[in-house]
Amino acid sequence: MKKFISVLMVVLMACLLFGCGGGNGGSSKNKEIVVWVGEESADFYQEICNKYAEENELPYTITVKGMDTGAVAGTVTNDPSAAADIYTVAHDNIGKLASTQCAKPFTDEALIAQVLADNPASFQNVIYSTLDGKQYLYGVPYISQALFMYYNKEKVSEEQAQTFEGLREAAQAAGTKAITVTGDDGFNMSFALLATNVVDHSTTVKIFEGAEAVSGGSKGTSNCQGDDTVAVVRWLQDYAEDPNGFKWASSDGWDADLRNGGALAVIGGAWHYNTAKAALGESNLGIALIPTFTLTPKACEGLEGVKAGDTFRGGTFADCKVFMINAHSDADKYSALQDIVKYLSSKEVQNESYLNCLNVPAYVGASEYIKSCYDAGKLTESEYNLAAKQVEMAEWGIPQPFLTGSLNTYYYSKNAPAVFRAMIDKTAYPTTGDVLVEETESLEGVRKGLYLMEYLWMHGVNPDSFPEDLPKQA
Amino acid sequence: MEATLKKNRIDLMKPFRKYWEKFYKRFADGSLGTKLSYFIFGAGNLYHKQIIKGLLFLVLQIAIILFMVLCPTINSTPYGYKALLNLPMKNVVEGGAFDPLTGEFSHGSNCKLIILFGFVTIAVIAIYFILWDKNIDSSFKADMDLKVGKKPTTFKEDLAELLDSKFHITMLTPTLIACLVFTVLPTVFMIALAFTTYNDPDMNELGTNLFHWNGIQNFISVFTGEGSLGVEIHNRFLPVLGWTFIWAVFATLTCYFGGIVLALLINKKGLKGKKLFRTIFILTIAIPQFISLLAVRNILGEYGPVNALLQNLGWISQPIGFLGLHPNDSESLAKVMVIIINMWVGIPYTMLMTSGILMNIPADLYEAAKVDGASTFKMFTKITLPYVIFITTPYLISSFIGNLNSFNSVFLLTGGGPTYIGYQAGGTDLLVTWLYKLTIDQGSYNTGAVIGIFTFLITATITLVTYRRSKAYNEEDTFQ
Amino acid sequence: MMNNKKVKSQSRNAKTSLALTYLILILLGIVWLIPLVWIVLSAFRCEYQADGTFIGTVTSNYFPKAYGLKNFADLFTARYYGVDNAFPKWMLNTLIIAAVDCVISTFLVLSVAYCISKLRFRMRKPFMNMAMVIGLFPSFMSMIAIYFLLKSIGLTGNPTHPEYSVIGLILAYSAGAGLGFQVAKGFFDVIPNALVESAKLDGCTNFKIFRKIILPLAKPIIIYQALMSFTGPWMDFIFAKVIIGADNAPYWTVSVGLYSLLFGTHPDTNLFTQFAAGCVIVAIPIVTLFMFLQKYYVEGVTAGAVKG
Repeated sequence: MKKFISVLMVVLMACLLFGCGGGNGGSSKNKEIVVWVGEESADFYQEICNKYAEENELPYTITVKGMDTGAVAGTVTNDPSAAADIYTVAHDNIGKLASTQCAKPFTDEALIAQVLADNPASFQNVIYSTLDGKQYLYGVPYISQALFMYYNKEKVSEEQAQTFEGLREAAQAAGTKAITVTGDDGFNMSFALLATNVVDHSTTVKIFEGAEAVSGGSKGTSNCQGDDTVAVVRWLQDYAEDPNGFKWASSDGWDADLRNGGALAVIGGAWHYNTAKAALGESNLGIALIPTFTLTPKACEGLEGVKAGDTFRGGTFADCKVFMINAHSDADKYSALQDIVKYLSSKEVQNESYLNCLNVPAYVGASEYIKSCYDAGKLTESEYNLAAKQVEMAEWGIPQPFLTGSLNTYYYSKNAPAVFRAMIDKTAYPTTGDVLVEETESLEGVRKGLYLMEYLWMHGVNPDSFPEDLPKQA
Repeated sequence: MEATLKKNRIDLMKPFRKYWEKFYKRFADGSLGTKLSYFIFGAGNLYHKQIIKGLLFLVLQIAIILFMVLCPTINSTPYGYKALLNLPMKNVVEGGAFDPLTGEFSHGSNCKLIILFGFVTIAVIAIYFILWDKNIDSSFKADMDLKVGKKPTTFKEDLAELLDSKFHITMLTPTLIACLVFTVLPTVFMIALAFTTYNDPDMNELGTNLFHWNGIQNFISVFTGEGSLGVEIHNRFLPVLGWTFIWAVFATLTCYFGGIVLALLINKKGLKGKKLFRTIFILTIAIPQFISLLAVRNILGEYGPVNALLQNLGWISQPIGFLGLHPNDSESLAKVMVIIINMWVGIPYTMLMTSGILMNIPADLYEAAKVDGASTFKMFTKITLPYVIFITTPYLISSFIGNLNSFNSVFLLTGGGPTYIGYQAGGTDLLVTWLYKLTIDQGSYNTGAVIGIFTFLITATITLVTYRRSKAYNEEDTFQ
Repeated sequence: MMNNKKVKSQSRNAKTSLALTYLILILLGIVWLIPLVWIVLSAFRCEYQADGTFIGTVTSNYFPKAYGLKNFADLFTARYYGVDNAFPKWMLNTLIIAAVDCVISTFLVLSVAYCISKLRFRMRKPFMNMAMVIGLFPSFMSMIAIYFLLKSIGLTGNPTHPEYSVIGLILAYSAGAGLGFQVAKGFFDVIPNALVESAKLDGCTNFKIFRKIILPLAKPIIIYQALMSFTGPWMDFIFAKVIIGADNAPYWTVSVGLYSLLFGTHPDTNLFTQFAAGCVIVAIPIVTLFMFLQKYYVEGVTAGAVKG
């Protein structure tokens, strides 16, 4: 027994002694800067960074690694000290990363000025966060993303692709459904949730307006119960019921619909480009803005805030990917890191990134550059449309709002969009307990569903009961 | 009655009494060296001229004391006595002070590491006491040896003992260390997290490195259903638990009997190509599950060949959601499909095992039955079946317990099944897939830890009860 | 006469039942193979759109319309996650991990099983109980703690030496192996104690007995354990990702890599045929091993069942 204990101790000691040497070494004192970007852009950015380091005689070496940017936030919060010095996330993670002390703000005057000058107002609204009561810039945008529509050019004319009604016509001629989506989560259903009035550019659902990304701050208000929202839901209910209208698809099947003619169009994002091309063929692939639709009298029945003939364009979340600095990176590297970010997010690098990796630039006026590339023959037509339509769609969308702390009340976790789907399908909402709404067809049913959705977003749990008199406009 | 009670009470104190006596006795009867070794490790060994052993003990004592006092710091969290002081987490540093000019960012304490390092320190202290005890023992043994006229063992002799009478120690030590460090310690760490406010949005918006103890609050909230952790577990625990049991029962029974039937078919007298058939069926074992189950998932998908075929035949007009991938898909259908597909994966194991057993059934049993005029069916039910069932009962139990924790079948096929609005746990979620979603996906380790503890309590109870009563355990010694 | 008739009808019965058995087995065999054949077919699928765009997604046909080796070529030269020739690198990593793990695990399991089975010492029953109880905890609970433990030793998440995380993973895999001794123990139980005792009478140390007598007899169980611990790392896609790190793509195992291709946040589903090709390549060594070592696997499973 004593021998085994001694052996055990020797080993444990060795580990600890080794550890003291190894663990503290870490990244704190070495001469390396690590940058995380999206997997498809890793090579490009590595080249750029190497050139930059050489030209500026940087005392550091820059290593660029490709990662799944959707998973970066989780990886960083799990172990921030092992994460990169500069990392890329979608802007809606800024709040969480800032409040959990995984990110450091930017303070370089020149960088802040560049960000102010280059980016549209909608992005400016979502890249700041608070620390110690002061507002700081936390994320620097360099890629923009929005949803748009892929369609079958063979069966749908360009004019028909402008409106949902036109799509329906084309679908009727082809004997199939008009349009589908790539998933039924809140992000993909934003075309209905964020339907934007073409006249005054107001969205139907107002998500977390005024949300402040401070710890303990208010989550802002969320309003899903306006009459315009109700009308849009009822319009979509009818459109989905129509044999030539809307159909649901799963994330592994929408391309089969396109290929086999089960649907003529799909609302998707840039990451679906390769699959959409494979489904339709390069020459058949059409890309357009999400179409507009006009409310029918049936949809506006019993509602005051809207009237038949009001036209809305399908909305989208217009997001940006941002660079952020790790709070655990060395203070010595701070100014170097800011310079690197300033360089990587500059217009020139964004342009080159577009040419090389098809990352849509985030700065205002990017559409001119994209057009010039197309005119110079550097892009195929669908590649050009891919960027141009995204940039245009961004004007019809809002960036995803973010909250602090945990993700539990984040707007599309906890399956709140499943409520939306149940509404469109006219089935019962699959909740548990007493909060069961059997019937979703009537006006009352739709209002209850919207209330349920809003409550889930605000509180993260099911409501105990529905209020007697469901409010209309907040 | 009173007498037995008294006896029981004394029995509880017996081990402590015995140890105290031993403690006292060794000091009293020991030589000067032994008495010294109460304070300085290895003193007794050195006294008896067991130099190497003595030095070993001494070095270890010094190392541990240095460790405790000097507090090596990793990732700005200390080991040693500071770790113990940190453990109650009363004075957690919040950090977050930022200097815009220099970029200095002060970091808060890392509570995860505080807990982990605190437990490591406690383990080191425990080792210290064990070493202390053993060092005294070692010296005392040398004393005793001297008394009966033997020489104290040299280091060489001790080493030789390790290969002989103490061989079990040599063999078990690596596993014990690995097990303690890589299994026991992490599990204790996770259990500790169940008593904290880790990642709790209501209590603490500073995320995952800064949290504090909150006693059994988490467990209470499970029963009252308050707080985001409480709501999730309160409403979904019983349904998920129920389904986990039903799943385990059906999965075990279907695979078990299916495997036996298949083995019997293949084993039939006169059948050619036994090896070929066996090979085909064990292909599913050889292929990694994330490949095979993914293939099934795609085949049964909305746009897979199965739905396409059914639509072409005109039997259905809309694709059927076999695997509950949408909230509106049938949950019961998904459950049935999961059990059926699990048969596809699980039957080959039982089949192989039964094949081996069937080949070992003594042939004369059958001969005798034939002579008595028994039909094949009767032979099957009276000889084969009971024999197989008797031999594989332990396997049945362990298979049941294994299925309680089976992850791949459910996760890769349905991802947890039709989702429930407002909750993480879906329709076909087992306890273990729910645990995965909570810990790896959501990073909500305290909720996961609570579920993990409940899961463990249940499986442990079942295991201990059934295993202890099973013959195999009681008679395992007497197999010879 | 009566006997002849009975024998004849019996043999006819036997013949029909045999034919029926063949039929059932063939049907079942086909059912068993359907998904696997589909993956293999998809790996060789080489369909193009009218204008030459390659179709790499899941299609609803069971049989491909065109065949080719393009997927395999792409797989081996593709650049995933910014890593050149990612797939061969992953294969090599997994091979190394599996081989080392195999050696360590087999040694550990055999030691423990032999001890528990043949030697008698004070802590024997408590050790067995403890092993059983510990094995009941779901492994996800300990993953993140193991990550931090390894990190504090510098064996993972080490920015200057990312390859150390491979060592960390091997440690983590082997550490858990020792507790899975039940099957091997059952096997050792069957070896008659008389052998051991007579050797002892001849004056052998326990170690010598282990080396000279037990090990040669234990060949089937050694192979069984080696097979199990070798194939394990090829199939695990959760644990390896946590330990090696999501940003450490050059050192992933092949299952982590393939899984990430299709299950990231915004996966490129046009890579499905490449994924299928990868699956085929991964499956080949494992299936081959299972085929050749079938006999030992059966013995191992049987031993495990018999003693539970």
